Amino acid sequence: MKGSNLSDPLIYVLDMVVFVGIFSILAISLNLEYGFTGLANFGKVAFFMVGAYTSSIAANMGVPYFVCIVLATTLAGFVGLLVSLPALKLRADYLAIVTLAFGEILRFIFKNESWIAGGVRGTTVPSAFLFVNLPIRTMMTVQIILVYSVLLVCYIVAQMLVNSPYGRVMRSIREDELAAQVLGKDVFKYKAQTFTVGSAMAGAAGSLFAQYMRFIDPYTFEPFLTFTVWMMIILGGPANNLGVIVGAFIVQVLERGARIAKDYLLLPIDPHNLRVMLIGILIILILLYRPQGMFKESKVKTPALEVAKKWKKSS
Amino acid sequence: MINWGQVLFNSAVTGSLYLLAAVGLTLTYGLSKFPNFAHAEFMAFGAYAGYVVAEELHLGFQLSFLVAFLATAVLGAASYLLVFRPLSRRGASIIHLMVASIGLGFFVRHALQQIWGGAPLTFTVSWSCFDVGPVRITTLWLSLIGAALLMSVVMHLILTKTKVGKAIRASSSNPELALASGIDVEKIALITWMVGAALAGVGGLFRAADTRLVPLLGWEILLPAFAVVILGGIGSFYGALIAAYILGLAENLGVVLLVSLKLSTDYRLAIAFLILILTLIFKPSGFGKLFGEGIKPV
Repeated sequence: MKGSNLSDPLIYVLDMVVFVGIFSILAISLNLEYGFTGLANFGKVAFFMVGAYTSSIAANMGVPYFVCIVLATTLAGFVGLLVSLPALKLRADYLAIVTLAFGEILRFIFKNESWIAGGVRGTTVPSAFLFVNLPIRTMMTVQIILVYSVLLVCYIVAQMLVNSPYGRVMRSIREDELAAQVLGKDVFKYKAQTFTVGSAMAGAAGSLFAQYMRFIDPYTFEPFLTFTVWMMIILGGPANNLGVIVGAFIVQVLERGARIAKDYLLLPIDPHNLRVMLIGILIILILLYRPQGMFKESKVKTPALEVAKKWKKSS
Repeated sequence: MINWGQVLFNSAVTGSLYLLAAVGLTLTYGLSKFPNFAHAEFMAFGAYAGYVVAEELHLGFQLSFLVAFLATAVLGAASYLLVFRPLSRRGASIIHLMVASIGLGFFVRHALQQIWGGAPLTFTVSWSCFDVGPVRITTLWLSLIGAALLMSVVMHLILTKTKVGKAIRASSSNPELALASGIDVEKIALITWMVGAALAGVGGLFRAADTRLVPLLGWEILLPAFAVVILGGIGSFYGALIAAYILGLAENLGVVLLVSLKLSTDYRLAIAFLILILTLIFKPSGFGKLFGEGIKPV
């Protein structure tokens, strides 16, 4: 779909809207892990990759897309649970190293084992909407509806989770793990469950990505992808699900802006290098000067809070 | 027929490389309490600095090691002074420090790629090679083992005999107490970052001379380096010493196994990953406790 960018600016904008949607799902999933629970998942791309590959392999075997995305979500969640288990009882840095390493190992496997999905040559993926032959603009609109429906589901699930008593335990683990343990919470169980849900959402995003791109190869899943998702969270504001969606939008604008700037300003620098260096420096600057991000942590919405607000108004 | 002598010799070579790569990582990890993912780019940076001296300025290969050492020390100092110390002073969490180190790593790697391009570069220096019995040896491999040995002896003397070395150990095991005893913890951290980065730079140059020079050079051996650090116990120099050679041996035995199973030798990375996971499951503190060093994993 990338070839049609220049001929039709509207398609370019719609393409960006789809990307913002897919990355928003990733950002919400990492926000559950890092923003609310304080888990450092540096291998988000691994679970995105599991989803993308599962979905493509299933779709190539003729499985309907609805089943593909369910498979991708389930498998990614399961893999997430398995990978996180050895490191969850230890400090945050151990989980970071293990997840980062896992992403690289997985990429090596998909690269070397050409029987799985084409190895380095990659594999084509049938679109979710094969049965109708639509003009490209309509096709993009249908894609946007699909991606944003999944995003909406993820957003609602995440919001319900973090505003429930469960979500308060998540925040308490982030703030003071020992205190949560003293209150009798099984911290390990909460962490493992959060990581599973987060990985499952990443799997759904991967499935959407694969069917939209119609082609995946191991080079799509570089560690830099994980880093851009971290950028979305830290820029948008951790523990604020709307904030990270804004973050996802801004990072997309930055990424594409670097490419456009190269074309129109004739900068003597490779656009990919420019993009990576820009994001690398920006994240350090944000961490230095505005570590809380653009948006503050969202308040917990509980029935008690509503009552208290009413009572405050009436008095 | 498997040439076991060669396997053992290769293990010593691989172990020496991992030792040079991991020493700085474990020392800065122990002192600043976070894993520096940009350590990979310290290795690549040192290799490119050496390349400029040896291949672009034609000043000889020996000098290139000195320059790699010094240039990477400067990069290490700059990283600490411009990124990590300001972040620590502002009370950044361990996760923020890790994210910043990844950001720094990407910046350095792509700056290198912008200047020298992503295509592999090679050193034109040729190494004489000779056979001892069935074992093939090159002077490059011998110098790599020699460098690792020299580094170990010098580091051991520094850590045990000098004030700076004792201060490094003190600041690593208990920063508050070290500060109360009149140790300038931030100065000690700066020295550690410089030395750690410099050693990584030398390791990177060896790796580049042995294989090829790409911006991803350091990233490719970051996972084994982390396996060494965790198996050795975070912050433990002596633990890293043992762990590096264990990993070197495991990887070379693993390659023999992979070849006999007709699998890609790219999976040697998976051996490091396996050791990492097994350490986390069975003994997260690694060998750290053996030497009374290292920081607690929980």
